[in-house]
Amino acid sequence: MKEERVKQLTNQIVELFRRSGYDVDAKEISKRLMLLIYEFKVPESEAIKTVKNWLIKELEIPKERLAVESPLVKIADITKPGQWISLKAKVVQLWDSSSPNVSQVGLIGDETGIIKFVIWAKSGKGEVEEGKSYLFRNVVTDSFQGRMQINVNRNSEIIEIDEDIQLPPREIEVVGALVAIQQNSGLIQRCKLCRRVMTKGICPIHGKVEGYDDLRIKGVLDDGENFYEIILNEENIKALTGIDLEKAKQIVAERLDRNAVLSELKSKLLGRYLKVRGTKGGRYLIVSDVEFLKGIDKAEVEKLIEEVAA
Amino acid sequence: MNGVRRREVAKRIFAYEFNRSTHRIKPEEDKAPVYVLTPLGMRCNRVFVVGALLDKDEIKPDSGIWRIRVADPTGAFFGYVSRFQPDALESLMEIEPPELVAIVAKVRVFERDGKLFVSLRPESISVVDSETRDYWIYETALKTLERIKRMELKKDEDCKLAWQIYSPNLNEFKQIVRQALASLKEEFELIEESEEEIEELKERREMEEKEFDKIKEKNELEEFEEDFEFEEEEWDLSDILSE
Ligand SMILES: [Zn+2]
Repeated sequence: MKEERVKQLTNQIVELFRRSGYDVDAKEISKRLMLLIYEFKVPESEAIKTVKNWLIKELEIPKERLAVESPLVKIADITKPGQWISLKAKVVQLWDSSSPNVSQVGLIGDETGIIKFVIWAKSGKGEVEEGKSYLFRNVVTDSFQGRMQINVNRNSEIIEIDEDIQLPPREIEVVGALVAIQQNSGLIQRCKLCRRVMTKGICPIHGKVEGYDDLRIKGVLDDGENFYEIILNEENIKALTGIDLEKAKQIVAERLDRNAVLSELKSKLLGRYLKVRGTKGGRYLIVSDVEFLKGIDKAEVEKLIEEVAA
Repeated sequence: MNGVRRREVAKRIFAYEFNRSTHRIKPEEDKAPVYVLTPLGMRCNRVFVVGALLDKDEIKPDSGIWRIRVADPTGAFFGYVSRFQPDALESLMEIEPPELVAIVAKVRVFERDGKLFVSLRPESISVVDSETRDYWIYETALKTLERIKRMELKKDEDCKLAWQIYSPNLNEFKQIVRQALASLKEEFELIEESEEEIEELKERREMEEKEFDKIKEKNELEEFEEDFEFEEEEWDLSDILSE
């Protein structure tokens, strides 16, 4: 038990110095830690500080060369155990912990991936909440049953941040009513240089440049519990309404009004139920497949009627 | 999240439950959205309704304010559309009732003679087909039933509050759901043993509508003075930032 703990702390110190480009003697460090913690009963954190200071003197390391702050990494970059790192992540899920040594365990994620985290009871670090985002500072990577995880120990810090960390894109299917179509939808113009949507012939980045026509809808799909901001491209719009870019240009030519396309799309789509499959990464659900919801299942209605009667 | 208020979800609710919603939940802070608590313990600020647009009447000649009545199988929603809802107004002008419509609307509460009434303030109105209407009835029945169950279990604070304020007869609401679902069955086969109850509900509804007719004649214009609210997600900068 003692040996294990000392070994763990030793590794942390060795790693810290290694990152700054110094190879230190693990055996000597263990010996000093053992002495300080178990013979002299010095608190762990004091013991660590003492050993670090001794090493700095011994190796004549200028203080500023020692990396005090662990590097900020993304979850996808975590591949090796025993590294000191910091990361910004959102708590995806908390699990029930069966061990009294563990204060919290679960999953955290950023836009590059999801990883297990363990907050050791001994670390005395505050509780995290599902759905909130935090900076996990000075945590140690570890490998458990072939999978990477991060451990929060007493040298770590957990700081709630005011940033909504996005999770990796995931494929979802939603059935909902299209309750809004935003104004910047319909027949739009994109900048030839950067594909951004132009307003009155002006690209927000490149100014007055040549543009090209495109068809898209930014809308809100609402299932009564949640809403999803969706983007439909030309192909999606054609699948639903039969209107493609050519047809849209034709509408403009006939009615001499670019907005006629948006009106037409609104009248065909607003208030309709859509079944949408796509990828939700950041704010928008990027649609891969979309169709109108087809009727209701008579059997489902019967089932519901029976349920009410019960 | 960065100071912009999250969009309100559009709740699914039958006219019967909606018209009985008279409790307003005061916002905790300035400019926070106002919610109406329904007899089945649901907060709503925005709704999605599909039904038959029965009437549209300008409340005074040239006032530009239109009163609409939209019926589902359980009753009728009332709403007002003015130039502050340009999209809804534009579509409304092109619709000749009766017609099946889908409406996305904010919920408005007003007081008349010491009584509270709810109405719709549509954001958009569109003509839809009967399949959309059927799915709406099915979905709304499902969600109403979920609310009834939550009420039975006194699931959360809003349920408890609804019990306190309305002490609803849950069987009455079950009856309404059943009636709505029955309308989905072809040929409108009524469930025999409940025909009487349905008659009873119909009568009660008609009485309520008459009452509403009486009060609605009074000073409807004054409702529109405060009727402007700045909301949520319109700050869409994504085109400028990147895409
Ligand atoms: Zn550009």
